[in-house]
Amino acid sequence: MRSDVEYVRPSSLEETVGFLSVHGPETKPLAGGTDLLIDIRSGKCNARYIMDVTRIPELRGIAVTEEGLSVGAGATISEIARSEEVKRFAPVLWKSCLTFGSPQVRNTATIGGNIANASPSADTFPPLIVHEAVAVLAGPEGERRIPVEQSAAGPNRSNVGPRELIVRFILKPAEGGFSEFLKIGRRKALAIARVSMAVLAEKDAGCAISFIRFCLGSCTPVACRIREVEDFLLGKIPDETVVAEGGRLAAEKMIEISGRRPTTIYKEQAVKGLFIRLLYPMVKL
Amino acid sequence: MAQPLKTVPISFKVNGQPAILEVEAGETALHAIRERLHLTGAKEGCGIGECGACTILVDGKAVNGCLMLAAQLDGTSVRTVEGLAEGESLDPIQQAFLDHHAVQCGFCTPGLLMSTVALLDQHPRPDRTTIADGLSGNLCRCTGYKQIFQAVEAAAERKRENAK
Repeated sequence: MRSDVEYVRPSSLEETVGFLSVHGPETKPLAGGTDLLIDIRSGKCNARYIMDVTRIPELRGIAVTEEGLSVGAGATISEIARSEEVKRFAPVLWKSCLTFGSPQVRNTATIGGNIANASPSADTFPPLIVHEAVAVLAGPEGERRIPVEQSAAGPNRSNVGPRELIVRFILKPAEGGFSEFLKIGRRKALAIARVSMAVLAEKDAGCAISFIRFCLGSCTPVACRIREVEDFLLGKIPDETVVAEGGRLAAEKMIEISGRRPTTIYKEQAVKGLFIRLLYPMVKL
Repeated sequence: MAQPLKTVPISFKVNGQPAILEVEAGETALHAIRERLHLTGAKEGCGIGECGACTILVDGKAVNGCLMLAAQLDGTSVRTVEGLAEGESLDPIQQAFLDHHAVQCGFCTPGLLMSTVALLDQHPRPDRTTIADGLSGNLCRCTGYKQIFQAVEAAAERKRENAK
């Protein structure tokens, strides 16, 4: 345990931003703590201030608004998994929250922390990206918005500035259609995903794919949509050959982005296999 | 403006009793409960939220005590394994773990018991999948899970009977 660290608990967003504008670079916000406490324990966290943002009302709540589905950055994964609005309007995000970590982790971990921490394996990245989510940030210069897809600069490096805080996410409502989130880890619960995937798609009257967003996570430095796979599938009737070819393309792009590494021999097959599992239900639809 | 503190005064409830403590800013909830309140039921297994031996209930929710700061306990109501039995009379969940030999070395047991409390609060009639999901944050490395599943099922049944 470090003895030089200081704890601060602001009670409003205004107070939080005020503190960050002065001490931001030496401060780490504490939301769920499920990543931060590990870094405190290992000594990796060298921040002077731990700022507890768990009691800021502006960060709470899930609601359908004129802008879309608004999910507070401080919403816990359990709260999201229980939300009827998320289940209906952001089914991929909802599915990812059912298998996130463990019950204990879901009860404290927040969606804002998951994105701000910017782990390549963060489970909520691919779902938020296929739902075209925008992160609303509060900072000393006021409000700023960035697409979640551009919110990570690299592995564990966020584009959310040290004087900024994610307040909420705005998702494009996506009712109906086909949605799925899958991941592979060393064990079902808790294991950090090695490969994760999210898809949101629709078929037209002729059974061809008329709309698709596909995002890969964990096996690339930051989660990203693979537009080549989307373009390949668009307009095609998904049969077994098409799905297998899509998986091959996804694996090819993964290697192109991440480079050939010792784990590639496994991950290439894993991406192909998981992609088939992800899209196969569309063949039967 | 909130003041940063190296030592944080906190007041909360543990198993129904009020607790007032001064904790270090970087201290975990588990550390405060074990070392300051001497409630040593919750264990530190991995210290990184993977094993669940430190599971406690905070405001009714199962959490990893090792992944929470002690300062965050301020104003909450905490339940630990020490709060389950009433005097000499065991909670139905504890009794079921005993009856079904769901305890071998016992290191994981307090955490499993607390996860079971949270599980049965939400699902009084859990099926095997629900039990597996509810206990997926707790590792047992010697008893084996079969007896644990049986104990949880028996505890659920006993609690339902008691509620009648």
